Amino acid sequence: MSQVVTADGRVLTVPPRPRGRHRTVLAWVAVLAVLAVTALTMAPRVGIDADLSAVAGHWRNGASKIVALLAPDWAFFPRTVEPLVQTLQMAVIATAIGAVVSLPLSLWAARPTNPDRWSRGALRVLLNIVRAVPELLYAAVLVAMVGVGALPGIIALVLFDVGIIVKLVSEQIEAADTGPLEAATAAGGTQLQVNRSVAVPDVLPGFLNQTLYVLELNVRASAVLGLVGAGGLGLLIDAVRSFYRYDQLSLIILEILVVVVVIDSASAAIRRRLV
Amino acid sequence: MSAAATTIPGRVRPPLAVPARPSRWRSRLASAVVVAVVVLAFWSVQIDWARLSHLPADIVRYLWLMFHAPTWAKLPEALFQTWRSVAMAWAGTVLAILVATPLSFVAARGFAPAPVRLALRGLFSLVRAVPEIITAIIILSVTGLTPLTGALALAVGGVGTLGKWGYESIEGVPGGPIEAVRAAGGSTSQVIRWGVWPASAPEFLSFWLYRFEINVRASAVLGLIGVGGIGDMLTSYTQYREWPTVGVLLIVVVVVTISIDAASGALRRRIMEGARARALDEQ
Repeated sequence: MSQVVTADGRVLTVPPRPRGRHRTVLAWVAVLAVLAVTALTMAPRVGIDADLSAVAGHWRNGASKIVALLAPDWAFFPRTVEPLVQTLQMAVIATAIGAVVSLPLSLWAARPTNPDRWSRGALRVLLNIVRAVPELLYAAVLVAMVGVGALPGIIALVLFDVGIIVKLVSEQIEAADTGPLEAATAAGGTQLQVNRSVAVPDVLPGFLNQTLYVLELNVRASAVLGLVGAGGLGLLIDAVRSFYRYDQLSLIILEILVVVVVIDSASAAIRRRLV
Repeated sequence: MSAAATTIPGRVRPPLAVPARPSRWRSRLASAVVVAVVVLAFWSVQIDWARLSHLPADIVRYLWLMFHAPTWAKLPEALFQTWRSVAMAWAGTVLAILVATPLSFVAARGFAPAPVRLALRGLFSLVRAVPEIITAIIILSVTGLTPLTGALALAVGGVGTLGKWGYESIEGVPGGPIEAVRAAGGSTSQVIRWGVWPASAPEFLSFWLYRFEINVRASAVLGLIGVGGIGDMLTSYTQYREWPTVGVLLIVVVVVTISIDAASGALRRRIMEGARARALDEQ
């Protein structure tokens, strides 16, 4: 350990330099560990069973299916319109409900707008749990609960939306300057009045931004929710895939791509103006 | 304070022009359109709204069924299937890294001709727009309903995101070191090794970890189409309405996802922000 004497006469001990050799050894250990885990994940029985000989056997059969993707069955289009509309309906409804529920919850989950540690912590823990489950798993369970159709899909998307919007917006509230909130509190406002008159207008552009972002995610998600029976294009995907009609699947994928690109660019244009 | 008090004698102040209120018609129009779309969606969707009234009671009943006495006997199988899902996520991430890292250099400005660069960027965004579960449906005709299909689908999706993040990171690298290596006569590979990599390595490592977190969630979902793993197990037990087992599976998904996110998040923070600053010992 070397020592340094500062201008005002204090003696400071400088911690030892990180030694190069140790770091190199550490890096190699990390690389070997990654390789070992990768080998384990690829292993038969234990891992994903990467059996390439079966792939070689299926190749000819599969290749013709994949070639079918290149020639979409345009005549199938009329049958896709209704599921496509349902997909968009689910996305819009879920985003609307999710946004309405999320705004008060975001204020609840942020420190400046909810000083009570316990209620804030409880909501955050609950939302961390909600966020840990992907929306398709929610949909799979909800379909068994409330039956096939758009309703389980919408509920699954709302759960997903609330998890994301509340997290992002409450982080934004906590990162914002607390001056206006303090001023409103000093002027005698109750926490509720302060939140309504200061925090809400302040966070509104960010909140709308996240809502649009969630709409983009919902359009992607609602296109496949039907695979578990939750309505929309996914139901159709499930049907055509069981008949191996990859030319029809190709048309559906194309429609998803067009819708996703249109919604994404519209939403991106609006979001650029918001922020 | 009156206006007269500030008026300099002998001069008449012109009246202050109040600027016109900013026009609000754009935002009003936008909100009207949004409200119309939402109302239209609610009005036209085919949902049995009557079912909604006993939904809360139903959900409470099912939550009770799932969690009041979970079948812990299924825990070992659930953990094994979770391991398979995580293995799928890991293998998919590794494959994606191997493919995407060289490609992101090709897609970055300054390493390949513009047509190649643009074509590659188009490919990345095309891949990102297709949900992984659809990629899996496409490739399962070749690979069959095995976890390998899941890993390959995640790898394809991973190439889309890692490729994009990669070239953005490479383009964000400061130009100084790159110019210095070029000026010293370095070849392209030397420019990458000594000019680009030292600056972008932390970002790359953190992207890889982040993509692994995404893949852990996605791999659970891929099980739904039958490629194995926790999602596969979850669909079969929900179809048989074995709620106590479904409860166990959901608990396992939540615990595993939150733990992996926490571990990977801590690693990413350590990589991006460095070690916590240590105070010099005062003597």
